[in-house]
Amino acid sequence: MPPGSLRCALPRSLVSPAINGSRIARTSALLLLPSSTPAPSTTAAPSRQYATAAPGGRLSLPPDYIPPTKPPTARPADTRKSQLLRSYTSLLRSTPLILIFQHNNLTAVEFAAVRRELRLALAAVSPEGSDSAEIASRAELQVIRTRIFDVALKIVEFYDPSKVQPSEATTITGKRVKVVYNHDLSKAAYKAVKAVSSGEKPLPEDSVYAQISPLMVGPLAIFTLPTVSPAHLAAALSVLAPNPPAFPPPSKKKSPGYYDPIAQSGLQKLLLVGGRLEGKVFDQQGIEWVGKIEGGIDSLRAQLVYLLQSAGMGLTSTLEGAGKSLWLTLESRRSVLEEDQKGPQEGGENKESS
Amino acid sequence: MITRFITDVTTRFNPFSPQARSARLFLSFLPPNARSSGMNITTQLLPRHSADPPTLYVKFKDGKEMNIDCAKTNIKDIVGEVDRHSRMLQKNADLADG
Repeated sequence: MPPGSLRCALPRSLVSPAINGSRIARTSALLLLPSSTPAPSTTAAPSRQYATAAPGGRLSLPPDYIPPTKPPTARPADTRKSQLLRSYTSLLRSTPLILIFQHNNLTAVEFAAVRRELRLALAAVSPEGSDSAEIASRAELQVIRTRIFDVALKIVEFYDPSKVQPSEATTITGKRVKVVYNHDLSKAAYKAVKAVSSGEKPLPEDSVYAQISPLMVGPLAIFTLPTVSPAHLAAALSVLAPNPPAFPPPSKKKSPGYYDPIAQSGLQKLLLVGGRLEGKVFDQQGIEWVGKIEGGIDSLRAQLVYLLQSAGMGLTSTLEGAGKSLWLTLESRRSVLEEDQKGPQEGGENKESS
Repeated sequence: MITRFITDVTTRFNPFSPQARSARLFLSFLPPNARSSGMNITTQLLPRHSADPPTLYVKFKDGKEMNIDCAKTNIKDIVGEVDRHSRMLQKNADLADG
C-alpha cells in the first residue's frame, strides 16, 4: 500500500460515530461541531457570527484603571495568608478578651474533646436565651498562625489608617479622582509595619506589642470572648487551665467527659501563656484576677456607685458637721448670755420690790 | 528529635521573657503520645516580672540527666545535645535487639 493512501485512510477511521455529521439527527447539535467536520450540505445550517472583542471597540477601559473592588495591595490579596492577616486584624480590633495558649502537638480528636468540654462549661454558666448565652455561643478556641498574628498585632498598634494620604486613581470613565487606600493589606500598612520591625526606631517599651511579642513563639491557639465577662472567663479557665481553689476543674459527676483520657491528654498539652484584655497584656495571674471578679462589670459598677455615694454622704456630713457645731456653740453661748441677762434683771426686780 | 529514650522533662520559664523561646519550642517538639508512652512532662510558668532564668531538665532511660540553660542555648543546640545522647542509646538498643 502506498503511504499516501494510508494517510487518507487514517483520518476516516479516527472519526468516531458520534462526531460523524451524517449520523447526527438534530441539526442544532451539528452547529456545535467544528466547521472542518464534513457535514452534508442538505442539513448545514446558515453560519452564525458571535460577538468578539474587536480592536478599538467601545468597551475599552482606561489602561491605568483600578477596579474599586480590587484596591492595590502590598502582598497578593488572593492568597490564604493575606486573608488570614485581614481576619486577624479585624479580630484584634473587635475582641476585648484574648487568651493565648501554647498547644503542644494536640491531635484533632483531642482538640475536638477540648472544644466540647469548653462549650459545655460555658453553657453551664449562661442560662438559655439570655445575653450570656449569646456570649457563650461566640466564644471560640482557634489555632492561629503565629507569624501572621504577630504582623497583625503590629498593624493594629502601629498603623493608623486615618493618616493615610489620598492617592489618585482613574475611574471607569477615565476621570482622575482621589482615593484613599488604607486597608490592612495596603502599601501604607506594609510600610508602617516595616518601619517597626526593621528597627529604625526602638520599640516603645510601653507599647502592647513590645510586651506581647515574646509570647509569639511556637504553635499558638487563642481563646476569644466577644466581651469581658468574668463569669465566662472563669468557666473557660477552669476547663483550659484549672488552678484550684479559685478555678477548680469541673467535677467528675457533672462532666464525666472532662475526665475522658482523650480530653485529659489534650488539656495537658495546652499551656496558658498570657492574654490580652481590653488592649492590655496580662499573665496567668492577671487573667485569674479578672476571672475572680464576681458578678462581672455590673457588680464593679455597683461597687463604684456605692463608693461614690458613701463618699458623698461622708462629705456632706463633714461639711454639715462644722456648721452644726458652730451653730450649737453659738446657740449654747446665746442661751448662757440670755440667762446671764435674765439673772441680774430678775435680781434687780427683787431688790426693787424689797 | 529522638524522644524515645527521654523519661522526664521538667521546664520552668517565664513566657514573657524572650529567653524562654527555646524552652517553649522544646515542649512543642515532644510527640503527641509522649505522656501516654510514659514520659513525665512538668511545666512551671513563672510570673510575668520574674527574672529567673528559664531551665530545662531532661532525664533519659539510662539515668543520664541533663540540665540545660535555655537562656544561652538556642533550640537547635538543645536538640543537638539531646539527640547526641539519644543516638548512643539508640545504637545500644539496636545492638541488643539484633
